[in-house]
Amino acid sequence: MSYLDQQFDALLKYWPDEDRAIRTLRTHAFDQFNSTGFPTKKWEEWQFTDFSKLSKKQFKLSRANDLPSIPKSIPGLIPDLGFILIINGHYQPQLSSLPNGVRVSTHLEDFNADENIYSWGKSQNPFQALNTAMMNSGVSIHFEPNKSIEKPLQIIYLMTELSEPLMNHPRFHYHIGDNSQVTILEHYIGLSSETYFVNSVSHATVGANASLHHIRIQEESETASHIASTHYQLESDARLIATHFSLGGELYRHDIHLKFNGHGGDASLNGLCLTENSQHHDQHVTVDHQRDGCNSHQLFKYILGDKSSGVFNGKVIVRENTKQTDADQSNKNLLLSPAALMNANPQLEIYSEDVKCAHGSTTGQIDPEALFYMRSRGLSQRKATELIIGGFAKEILEPIPNEHISDYINQKINHWLRLSQKNG
Amino acid sequence: MLTIKKLHAGVDGKEILKGIDLTVKPGELHAIMGRNGSGKSTLANIITGRDNYEVMEGSVIYNGTDLLDMSPEDRALAGIFMSFQYPVVIPGVNNTYFLRAALNARLNHHGLKEMNAVDFMHLIREKLKLVQMDEKYLTRAVNDGFSGGEKKRNEILQMLTLEPTFSILDETDSGLDIDALKIVAEGVNKFRNNERSFLAITHYQRLLEYMEPDFIHVLIDGKIVKSGDKTLAAELEAKGYSWLE
Repeated sequence: MSYLDQQFDALLKYWPDEDRAIRTLRTHAFDQFNSTGFPTKKWEEWQFTDFSKLSKKQFKLSRANDLPSIPKSIPGLIPDLGFILIINGHYQPQLSSLPNGVRVSTHLEDFNADENIYSWGKSQNPFQALNTAMMNSGVSIHFEPNKSIEKPLQIIYLMTELSEPLMNHPRFHYHIGDNSQVTILEHYIGLSSETYFVNSVSHATVGANASLHHIRIQEESETASHIASTHYQLESDARLIATHFSLGGELYRHDIHLKFNGHGGDASLNGLCLTENSQHHDQHVTVDHQRDGCNSHQLFKYILGDKSSGVFNGKVIVRENTKQTDADQSNKNLLLSPAALMNANPQLEIYSEDVKCAHGSTTGQIDPEALFYMRSRGLSQRKATELIIGGFAKEILEPIPNEHISDYINQKINHWLRLSQKNG
Repeated sequence: MLTIKKLHAGVDGKEILKGIDLTVKPGELHAIMGRNGSGKSTLANIITGRDNYEVMEGSVIYNGTDLLDMSPEDRALAGIFMSFQYPVVIPGVNNTYFLRAALNARLNHHGLKEMNAVDFMHLIREKLKLVQMDEKYLTRAVNDGFSGGEKKRNEILQMLTLEPTFSILDETDSGLDIDALKIVAEGVNKFRNNERSFLAITHYQRLLEYMEPDFIHVLIDGKIVKSGDKTLAAELEAKGYSWLE
């Protein structure tokens, strides 16, 4: 019996009264996962990322007795936001503060309303199946229709100092009502020197003519593995601006899917990865244009130091007979060290005539001309390098609508830059 | 102020400057003229400390110290400045922020109090008027989306703000229409005084009509073949360079 089998059994025993339908779902998902196991380098969509170390480690599912005393100050808490606090996998409603018009529901309620969003589909993503099987935390959040919810909602997913390797499989659902405007910050923070594994799945359905700003910050501990899938579904005339910022974890793999369910949707997906040491950050983005008059923009940047590596795989699919599609995709990477490595693979799959598509990917080093120019004005090499890298990163943060959030990320970038310059 | 002695220098083992001797005193403006490939820009790059150039022989003494041992930023802090022939675009770095950081590096170096953002805005607005630049350039990234002429004005703006004592104007006239050239030259002229020195590198006499040099040197194949006063420019305009070869 593998440790995952044991953990799965323990999970079923731990919640003996769980709804039968969810139980069946879990069992099917676990069978699905076991039929493939962890991805290997022989799988096309996974070839640049090595999961062998992760698959050999043994993690224990987080339980209630893993909840430590609540830290006096919550790290990462951004001022003036509504917030939901989840510590080591445990939702803390008493410490959370929901803005008006926002309601949290249980996974069972959610499942009964729409069981489809719990399926792992045909995605060939074993981590999603594993998440469905082991789903042990996360929340479903409903945002009322016809409402502009001014306060962004921050979800802090905190891993505190751990005494043994834990794993969590959080599931987040965001239901944005028609005509509503919402900002969600999904924020993963790790404080543990012990390794752990977070395998999260998020679904956002953006109602007709609604608007979602989704910001995702991943700052797990340096020995953690963070695997994630995010699914965006846009109804007619819905708008999405997503910003994915990651700097933590030794292994990070994120599959981002965007599907237009209605006409006239508009989506921007932006991302910034900062890596150093031997970190590996892998993002796979799929944008599926299957309705008329939809626009999508992608801008993903990586800044890679030391022996770290990155993967960007971006795919735009424009289905047959889809009209007036405007899609572009850009990937720009900055290598700060000769040992850093980037794998970029922008792809277009276009089956329609009526499209405007552009894509491109560049990987380079710091421009020596820019460096000399700034030094010739009296700035030290270090300061000049910091400014150039900071300038490269900045573009990603521009669409973030909330100053406190962009300030927070800016601080993280500057801190990272100072450290990487010191080590470099 | 600046004394260049027996300077031999080049790139990739190829000698470009083949023995330059030049002395620039405080308050003087020297023009270096010559064709493409004569070594004009190499000279500017050696003085400012660009990578990849090697000095085979000679020295560049600035106020008593050899510049050649110093980093580009230390030279800048000591008062050397170059208006670039091709100013560099730095995406995402705000022009005002960059210039204030550069000024504060200099103030800091001299043990002076750094300038806050408010005081700096007052200063920079005054300087903008001198080069007739629109304030919108302050909010852009460094040289990003600037036309050729705007980039050159931005270079002069930097010079006026940083107040160097030795300024190299590397082909500052190239890419400028006559109106912009007058504005740039006027900016330099107002900045001239008996303590500040200049080295103006140019192909053409045109710049020197608006910015009067004290000396003109003709550079051919890495050597100064002729030096003279401002009248030499007109002679070069009429006769070209071939009579000096």
